[in-house]
Amino acid sequence: MQYSSMDHFILIICSMIAAFIPRFLPLKFFSTRKIPEWFNEWMKYVPVSLFTALVVRDLFVNTKTYTFVGLEYMAKLLAAIIVIVVAYRSRSMGLSVLFGLVAVAILATFLTV
Amino acid sequence: MEKTEARWVEVFKVSLPLCLSYVPIGLACGILLHAAGFNPLLTLLVSVLVFSGGAQFLIASMLTTNTPMQTIVIMLFFLELRYALLGSSLSQYIKGTSKKFLYFFAVSLNDENYAVNYLKFATDKSWTPKDALAVEHWSLLFWSVANFIGSLVGNLLPMENYLDIVDFALTAMFIYMIVMQIRNKLTILVSFISGVIAIVALVTLKSTMGLIVATLLASFIGFMIEHNIVKKGEAKGNFWLKKIKPKASRKVISKSGEK
Repeated sequence: MQYSSMDHFILIICSMIAAFIPRFLPLKFFSTRKIPEWFNEWMKYVPVSLFTALVVRDLFVNTKTYTFVGLEYMAKLLAAIIVIVVAYRSRSMGLSVLFGLVAVAILATFLTV
Repeated sequence: MEKTEARWVEVFKVSLPLCLSYVPIGLACGILLHAAGFNPLLTLLVSVLVFSGGAQFLIASMLTTNTPMQTIVIMLFFLELRYALLGSSLSQYIKGTSKKFLYFFAVSLNDENYAVNYLKFATDKSWTPKDALAVEHWSLLFWSVANFIGSLVGNLLPMENYLDIVDFALTAMFIYMIVMQIRNKLTILVSFISGVIAIVALVTLKSTMGLIVATLLASFIGFMIEHNIVKKGEAKGNFWLKKIKPKASRKVISKSGEK
């Protein structure tokens, strides 16, 4: 099945709405009310949890079949370690992404991505 | 010395590291969207209207696997749900602004400009909601232009064999954001717990819902552990809560404008 540009346009509009609602409603809601302390304390751990879940999915899960792949994506795993080191030392997102891309490109020539 | 600079220059300087880091990721995202069948104009449109690296990579990868549209939108909604949490933590700083302002602020909010703005609001008393919106708009400009160029590059060069590699840009971005979030050993523990739950939940649920389950459970576990340590009055010098200081010098940290 092929989508047309019109389908893509409709998809973009729906995506915009799906992206907008969770960004706007809490801002609106909490801009006039006080956020409970416990809620803030809990939310503190949300970004790190979500990002880890996303990274783990990319590195250890086949997203077409949703199966655990272990150490199959060796190139990505090694590149991920490089990114951690670069991110920790440089604190720069641009450098981290750049090193990650170069590392995975080189490693992919002799390992499975 | 900085006080004599025009305000917009100052704000631009704060946004610049973030904007530059958007260039490689935006290019990668544009290439992937092109491979998924988006023309350059649609790529530009989605970058402006959705403005989320994660969401756009998700759209690209799901279109290439012919996922039905409603599934894409639902998955996207779950992915974007995290902004509800980011947004509510930022809301205390933008109290008293107009509804129109909130609308514009919400439209261009994303992970990275959130991180910059949250840090500025927390550390710089003179940081205003208007400055925060300007940071969002600078990052939006760089992001959408990079996407547009990426889409054109995908048009000109055959990239099909390199998509797996380009896709790693997003993974690297998230790894970077994890590293920036590490404050103490408890954060590392929470990250580990989330990773384990994510694998189990993804494999059993066979859907992106696994990510939401892992996020909510792991963050709640972290919250409960910290709550218990604090309640027992052992917070000071506690093994889990002891601050981890980055190796990079102070100057490098403040220059990057992020945590």
